[in-house]
Amino acid sequence: MKRRSLLIGFLATFVVLAPLAWFWHASLVPSTYSVMDMGYIDTGGAPTQHDGHHGGSTTSVESLVEDPDRVADVVVDLTARRGKIKLASGETVDGYTLNGRSPGPTITARVGQLVEVRATNANVPDGIALHWHGVDVPNAEDGVAGVTQDAIPTGKSHTYRFVVDRVGSYWYHSHQVSHVQVTRGMFGPLIVLPVDGIEQDHDVAAVAHTYRGARTLNGVRGDVPVVAAEGETVRVRAINTDNGPMRVWSDTDYRITAIDGTEVNQPTPIDGKDVTVTAGGRIDLVVTSPARVQIGGATALLIGPEGTPPTTRPPPPTSQVDLLTYGTPTSTGLDASKPDREFTYSVDRKPGFVDGVPGLWWSINGHLFPEVPMFMVSEGDVVVMHIENHSGEVHPMHLHGHHALVLSRDGTSSTGSPWWTDSLDVEAGESYDIAFLADNPGIWMDHCHNLTHAADGLVAHLMYEGVSTPYVVGGDAENSPE
Amino acid sequence: MRKTYRIVADIIAIDVVIQAMAMVFAIAGLFKWIDDGATLDKSVIESWEEDPPTWTGSIGHFIHVMNGTYLIPLLGIILLVVSFFVGMEGAVKWAAIIAVSIAVQVAVGLLSGDSPYLGLVHGLNAFVLFAAALMAAKLAKEAKPDLVGASANKP
Repeated sequence: MKRRSLLIGFLATFVVLAPLAWFWHASLVPSTYSVMDMGYIDTGGAPTQHDGHHGGSTTSVESLVEDPDRVADVVVDLTARRGKIKLASGETVDGYTLNGRSPGPTITARVGQLVEVRATNANVPDGIALHWHGVDVPNAEDGVAGVTQDAIPTGKSHTYRFVVDRVGSYWYHSHQVSHVQVTRGMFGPLIVLPVDGIEQDHDVAAVAHTYRGARTLNGVRGDVPVVAAEGETVRVRAINTDNGPMRVWSDTDYRITAIDGTEVNQPTPIDGKDVTVTAGGRIDLVVTSPARVQIGGATALLIGPEGTPPTTRPPPPTSQVDLLTYGTPTSTGLDASKPDREFTYSVDRKPGFVDGVPGLWWSINGHLFPEVPMFMVSEGDVVVMHIENHSGEVHPMHLHGHHALVLSRDGTSSTGSPWWTDSLDVEAGESYDIAFLADNPGIWMDHCHNLTHAADGLVAHLMYEGVSTPYVVGGDAENSPE
Repeated sequence: MRKTYRIVADIIAIDVVIQAMAMVFAIAGLFKWIDDGATLDKSVIESWEEDPPTWTGSIGHFIHVMNGTYLIPLLGIILLVVSFFVGMEGAVKWAAIIAVSIAVQVAVGLLSGDSPYLGLVHGLNAFVLFAAALMAAKLAKEAKPDLVGASANKP
């Protein structure tokens, strides 16, 4: 009897523990792997010719560079350090700086110029890599450790070269252990001006970031004064470097002149509404001085003549600008009516293990990391991607190396200005159809820019047929892109 | 085994109390932090894991999450496994009730951010779990060792 009881006990234990042990073991991610071997191939309905790791001639991402003979127009040296960040309010926080500060220096170039950045890692133990967020650089310059380069170790440098061929507001940030390094300050603004400069009288970058719970604009807490004579126009470049969406509004009329760097066609004045800048996204807006531009609940630009007394925060608007209907339609130059590839990127949550850790994790098309899709394209393809969010939480979806055109949201077509984006706020329960031209060969991350979500596995890749990467996640360089 | 069963059930009950204490500590500290001029929004919450704000009580949030997501479910599994060997009437039943209650508690805890009303279930179910853990411990305490041994030794 005792023996039978014991046997039943062991059997019951096996029934409880065996599935857990199996799921746990199956979820373990090797310490070193190539993103090319991750998950499963999704051809988007097109026949596959060959891919990077299944034979055939391939182009290495290393060779996807800017013309090496072209002389740089803008040369910048950036040195990354781990240490104390001193906020303008006097507080110091532990973090990462570029050239001794956070945010790092503003890189300014004119459209068409070649920018050359020499990035040096002074003492960041995990290594660094710099990504040019929103700039469609050649793949080798994308700055993703383990995909397009090895992380730059302590004491070493790496040079990035790319042509800025689109006017607009961008930013750069680390893409090595990014959920830690960006959160702790390794980023800066990148502004591309038209050849003849901007129309407005003043140009102000408003780089929003939260350091240890302290909301800041350009590293300053609270109100940031901007001197502009009454009646002068000010272009405000709101850049959200945080992980959550940020609302922007003003106590005067404003116009949204650019979304993620791309100009809005015929923007109309906005009154009493706010606009969401998604994590990683940028919104340019124009106001006439004096004005108070509220960037999130806790920080603002106080625009006015010298000595303008502080104003109080205008009440948060109860309605929002809908970018799907804002501005006036015009030619997009992209016919997405007969796409060559159609993909679904459906985000949900699923209980299970990711790399041995139990939890309720993000899933992509029903799979947990690393069983995520590899979206395969060929150069020249018109691609439509259907993004769905069933996860109950907002996700700022960021596609590297491309600008996508928003076609519709929840089945309703865009009726405003062509809405080009690289960082799209997909609210819980929403779905978007976006389209882009596959015109930049390489292997590109397509991930949630809530970098904590990315670190938890909300990451997929877009891969061009015939392209391969010699770099690996992990390895001797200890690459860890998320 | 009976003693192990009782101790694990007691630890689960104590852990539920710690969960309540830690959460109130965290919320009280959070309100003071906001009252002192800080701002809480999505960006702060999302950078929490990598760069936690240093308000008094923030450790309470951390304890609640780690305890609730990992430690208590682990204890629930241990109790269930122990119940298979304890040879005591009702042991498996109470361990199963506790395991289901923990599963519900973790699920509604994780989902209550999307559906706040689930927070009511989370609060109510904490009492169910607490009571079930006490019942399981009481069962083990009151079961006579000789009877347990006798029943196990019967041919």
